[in-house]
Amino acid sequence: MLRVSAQTTQTDIDIHGVTGNANAADQGITHGRLLMAFAEAVASRDTSEIQSSREALRLAAGDAVVVDAAGVAANFQRMVRIADSVGIPVDDLENDFGKETRATLSLDEFHSARNSLG
Amino acid sequence: MAFDFPKYIRQDIPDAYREYWLKLGQPGSWWSGAERIDIAQASRDAVICELCVQRRSALSPNAVKGEHLISSSINLPLEAIDAVHRIVTDQSRISAGYVDQNEAAGLSKAAYVELVGIVVTVLSIDEFHRAMGMSLERLPDAQSGEPDQYLPVQAKEGTGFVPMIPQDGATGKEADLWGPRGTANVIRALSLAPNALRDWIPVGNAQYLTFEGMGNFDKPEGRSLNRMQIELIAGRVSSMNECFY
Repeated sequence: MLRVSAQTTQTDIDIHGVTGNANAADQGITHGRLLMAFAEAVASRDTSEIQSSREALRLAAGDAVVVDAAGVAANFQRMVRIADSVGIPVDDLENDFGKETRATLSLDEFHSARNSLG
Repeated sequence: MAFDFPKYIRQDIPDAYREYWLKLGQPGSWWSGAERIDIAQASRDAVICELCVQRRSALSPNAVKGEHLISSSINLPLEAIDAVHRIVTDQSRISAGYVDQNEAAGLSKAAYVELVGIVVTVLSIDEFHRAMGMSLERLPDAQSGEPDQYLPVQAKEGTGFVPMIPQDGATGKEADLWGPRGTANVIRALSLAPNALRDWIPVGNAQYLTFEGMGNFDKPEGRSLNRMQIELIAGRVSSMNECFY
């Protein structure tokens, strides 16, 4: 989805922000580094990190961005658990675009890859 | 009033949470209202469960023995409690064998699917509160009544660990779930308990995007983030959770 949105808007990005590279997160994405840090803090439930990353994001981007970012992070804390709790496979495993993304991000190393790759 | 948020939080978020809270306390298809509240409480216990911390760092979750943190108010089978804790703290290592083993012990796949729906939706609401630095909302009171034991007849095995409604099977009572062109597996995932799917959709619409909004890859309406910013967060959270899907 990140790649598709970058292609749609003809923006040069580096998807390694998804795997925690702060410099990559900032490439082409406004407040990318701060959004990545906030997402990490929410996913790890580190209260101190949540507070500091939230305040940094609020200072840079405002309350409305913090609210939307919190909503998206909370949403994906749900979605990953839906997917893994019932072991659904990737919808179109043979899609070249998806294959390339998974290879770039080394996603095949995740435990839950077995639900798609066997 | 529940979810009495500061004004800077857009209104559709507390509205969706209130709507879900009303449903949470009512009997479902496989769990009573009281049991559904117990499942929700167990999802909160799991976040601070020491056994779960130890298991998550072990090579295999079965390598660590012990007892989960269980609030005194909870009255659920141990299989259900373990499932809740696994979903919250170690979901990427849930396997078909684990779900089958629970079924043999009495936790049916339909009951498991409804349980997953409760855990993940309550968790996502709680995560929003934690992200915003707000106290968790008090769980709703349980409503009386019996589970209706509804099963969609068209559900089939073959996609994941549990039966699901097939891509072309959203018909009859399930016609509202998705259109004739089918949908993503993650939407079908909880369709064995159709209300579990129906219940999380409005929460997802508010926290992330509506299905219509997902078609906008530039700047979704009503959001302060553009789509790249949204998907960076989504991708980072998914990666942190080691979610291949």
